[in-house]
Amino acid sequence: MQIIPLFVAIPLGAAFFIPMVGRKNPRLSDTLANITTLALFLMALSVIGKATQVYWMGGWVPRLGIPVGINLVLDGVSIFMLVTITLISFLVTIYSIHYMDKFTSKARFYSLFLLMVAGMNGVALTGDLFNLYVFLEITSIASYALVAFGGQHEELEASFKYVVLGCVASTLVLLGIAITYAMTGSLNMAQVSTIIGGNFKPIHLFTMALFISGFGLKAALVPFHAWLPDAHPSAPAPISAMLSGVVIKTIGIYALVRVMLNVFGMTPLTSYILLVLGTISMVVGVLLCMGQDDIKRFLAYSSISQIGYIVLGFGLGTRLGIAAALFHLINHAVFKSLLFLNSGAVEYATGTRDFSKLGGLKDKMPVTTTTAVIGSMSIAGVPPLSGFWSKLFIIVACVQAERYGFAAWAAGVSVLTLAAYLRMLKRTFYGQPGEAQPAAREVPMSMKLSMVALAALCVVMGMLWMPHAQRTFLIPAARVLQEGLTYASSVLGM
Amino acid sequence: MDLVGYTILIPLAAGAIVRLVPDAFKGLKEGIALVVSALTFYFTIALFREGFVESGYFGKMLFRMDTLSSFVLLFIGFFGLVMVLYSLGFMRGKGNLKEYYSYWLLTLGGACGAVLANDMILFVTFWGFLGFTLYMLVMTGGPKAAGAAKKTMVIVGGTDALLVLAVAIVWVMTGSTSLTQESIPTVTGLSAFAFILFACAAFAKAGAMPFHSWIPDAAEHAPTSVVAYLPASVDKLLGIYLLARISLYLFNLTPGMQLLVLIVGAFTIIAAVMMALVQHDLKRLLSYHAVSQVGYMVLGVATLNPIGVAGGLFHMVNHAIYKGCLFLCAGSVEKEEGTTDLDSLGGLARYMPITFVTCLLAALAISGIPPLNGFVSKWMVYQGIIEMGRGGGYLWVLWLVAAMFGSALTLASFMKVLHAVFLGIRERKAGGDPKEVGLAMAIPMIVLATLCLAFGIFAFSIPLSGFILPAINGISWLSVPDVSQWLGWWSPGMATLFIVAGVGIGLIIYLAGRLKGTRTSSMYVGGEILEPEVRVTGTDFYTTVSDMGFFSTMYRWAEARTFDTYDIGRSISFYFIKGFRAAHTGILPEYLTWTLAGLLVLVLILLR
Repeated sequence: MQIIPLFVAIPLGAAFFIPMVGRKNPRLSDTLANITTLALFLMALSVIGKATQVYWMGGWVPRLGIPVGINLVLDGVSIFMLVTITLISFLVTIYSIHYMDKFTSKARFYSLFLLMVAGMNGVALTGDLFNLYVFLEITSIASYALVAFGGQHEELEASFKYVVLGCVASTLVLLGIAITYAMTGSLNMAQVSTIIGGNFKPIHLFTMALFISGFGLKAALVPFHAWLPDAHPSAPAPISAMLSGVVIKTIGIYALVRVMLNVFGMTPLTSYILLVLGTISMVVGVLLCMGQDDIKRFLAYSSISQIGYIVLGFGLGTRLGIAAALFHLINHAVFKSLLFLNSGAVEYATGTRDFSKLGGLKDKMPVTTTTAVIGSMSIAGVPPLSGFWSKLFIIVACVQAERYGFAAWAAGVSVLTLAAYLRMLKRTFYGQPGEAQPAAREVPMSMKLSMVALAALCVVMGMLWMPHAQRTFLIPAARVLQEGLTYASSVLGM
Repeated sequence: MDLVGYTILIPLAAGAIVRLVPDAFKGLKEGIALVVSALTFYFTIALFREGFVESGYFGKMLFRMDTLSSFVLLFIGFFGLVMVLYSLGFMRGKGNLKEYYSYWLLTLGGACGAVLANDMILFVTFWGFLGFTLYMLVMTGGPKAAGAAKKTMVIVGGTDALLVLAVAIVWVMTGSTSLTQESIPTVTGLSAFAFILFACAAFAKAGAMPFHSWIPDAAEHAPTSVVAYLPASVDKLLGIYLLARISLYLFNLTPGMQLLVLIVGAFTIIAAVMMALVQHDLKRLLSYHAVSQVGYMVLGVATLNPIGVAGGLFHMVNHAIYKGCLFLCAGSVEKEEGTTDLDSLGGLARYMPITFVTCLLAALAISGIPPLNGFVSKWMVYQGIIEMGRGGGYLWVLWLVAAMFGSALTLASFMKVLHAVFLGIRERKAGGDPKEVGLAMAIPMIVLATLCLAFGIFAFSIPLSGFILPAINGISWLSVPDVSQWLGWWSPGMATLFIVAGVGIGLIIYLAGRLKGTRTSSMYVGGEILEPEVRVTGTDFYTTVSDMGFFSTMYRWAEARTFDTYDIGRSISFYFIKGFRAAHTGILPEYLTWTLAGLLVLVLILLR
């Protein structure tokens, strides 16, 4: 039995099954959804450390080294992404058990949620450009619906903006794919890579521009970021956590990096473009985040800034830079999900997200406060929490690549991030009690459980850099990306 | 696991455990804190006696203790115990005790770790973690402390980010992460930049200008015992330890870099003491002195000659002792009177004699009055500056003047404190007279005051030959074989004798006068007979200074926080934030335009 297609098939099946049986019974939906995401997480854990495997759909194996069917590729980066996606989605479904009680149709929520997970798993696994586009759209469309899930004016407006800009992104990507197909006569990523082989004609460069801006839109890199601060805060908190935690990374950054590094191959110019885009996002994102008064908008802008760090690391193109970027990617997935879940807990307990009405929640909500402090310190890069290590290695990688200016920006933005998060902690949890404070209560068990689990991960994830974990998890992923065009030979078995 | 591991891990583990202790067990938190601090102090003594320790884990030499770190470690252990003892009395009955003792112990473990670390990454880990525990400890002061805690963490934690960059540069440049590797010359731009980043972190932790502004704010709102423990003693030890480590070991300073550090030192002394003169709150006043005194340590280390460096290091220890003592006295006053506002205090000497005497000794020590410890170390710093002046140039006069003038102003400022708090007349208040503090609070003050005396009178036999000279001799290019002329022509034993004799003669004259009976008359000012209720609080002693033309402008600006690095940074950030926020109108077509513009730029760049 092949495990690779199951990563897509299981959530896809569950997405249709849950609304059929769980319509009248919300607890049954909870159970089924949690079992599904747990199973996916365990499956992802079970493939860690495996060598590259290729699954040809329908048994259509390549003839004479020329692919004729669609393939799914499970290599180091895919495993890395699968672990990240399934880990966060599992913890988020636990959180949803109680949080989503206040919404009416839980079964539909889980259906859309699992559809999104299926799409992301597909993006992480696929070895085919058009297939990538299909999974990208599954993820996007599910997330458009989830952003509007509350059905209020604000949610609908945000979702509309998200749809419009998301469609622009999809169009750009599709255009890029179409041109690539016209140029090379193939959609298989490995084969396209062997045909282009770092040998660029102007039309290829134009395609690259399309891919960078298309995936950049999905990843919310500045100046393509404008949809995110509206869309992420409007969604229910578990979905905000998914969107900021994994969606923008999978359909934005992962797809971008995969196409740029493995299909086209990195050139000094594209490397420099990524460095600059990353730095601009980092700086603009954190500055915007410092001025927000809505806790979820605050977190959304901060995501833009952190995405900048990840792109900066990838842009260096060195082994250390890529490994550090991947490290920051998974760390950011953990702490940003945690922080969005914290914001959800605050909203759940007080009914508001406005800094001016919050404050002094520390004694009323000790678990939320402690976990939020851990998450904030982690994102701000306070040792020994996970964010410290990934930022440290991104900065070291910048210095090592002699990109001193970018290293200085990374350090400087770290200071601003710290200032921004301390402001959030002060306005929400410490400081003078606000008007929403007297009515606040600590949140129910399932929400606490998932926040505590994520906070614990923030504390221990620095260990991923320990030699053994690094060898089995991070380095195989970084190697696939760094070795760039050898991807083709490992997939096609040449 | 060896002694190094125990010293670091036991307090850290105890800190984590205290956080989980249920509130039902009364006294357990305090008990754990006291026992673990005592144990840690014992470990630090044991390590100090070993002199040189190396300890490797995972095949790396992660920890190394040499003569420089051993005495710093000893004093961290010492202050940990003394201040915990004080906290037992001071914090009794206050909320947040669980967090308080938990972060306290974590701080103790982290500080030991930072001093023992040889690996730079490990050092940064402990160092940054200390910033976080400091933040949480300031936060135990309640909702009002939230602003001060945030400012503290932005400055201290922000410079940690710079430290990370510095470590990255040194690591890539030399290929090693050892803090005790060969000296790197600061001749290239990159290594000079790395040195400056390291120095920023050291200055922020120790509280030298321009990274000092968190100390007065934290001192005002955090529990006084926290201020006595961290900004007044342990953070000073750590900050100056790092400065000494980078200036004497890691980097080889060029004259330009040395000048930079000297400027910071001299400027800190004068500017901070000027601010201290005009404060109306005892804790804020003390905290400005805590900033000002850092200048002496920085000057001492930056002289880069044996006597100056020894003076700087000695001053670091002395300062931790007397400033710790002064803050503890302020805490005692606060506990009894409920305020530290100089305007409403006064006349406490007769109610709180122990606090008065210990405070007097510490105040004289910080003002550099012989034969107390502060005098000896300041004296050595002066000698170091003069020694440096023999190398030529005229700037050294400037440093010397700054140091001596700063000392005089310190004395002036403490005259004001002693008068306003302990002398004069106590304002009539409801609720009975203040009492002397309990034993748990009194012992730490007495111990520290005694050390002020002992380290002054027996300066050469205890501290200097005990740990300062070994630390200097541990640095090959700094060591001097002949230590006989180290103290210049200052002989503490003889001087003490003279001073005691002088005081004795004064006493005899006073008593002789008393025998005859003195004439008393009522106070008479400007033709009016003053009622006994009219008090002279002492806060107005130096308003002449602040009313002078130039100074009044400077003071006005300082009050408006024009010079505060934190506020300058904040206004610059918010200037940009306003612009960016205005650009985000929420109008969809505009966002689409940005997207297309971005695509266009990308196409142009890629296809040019």
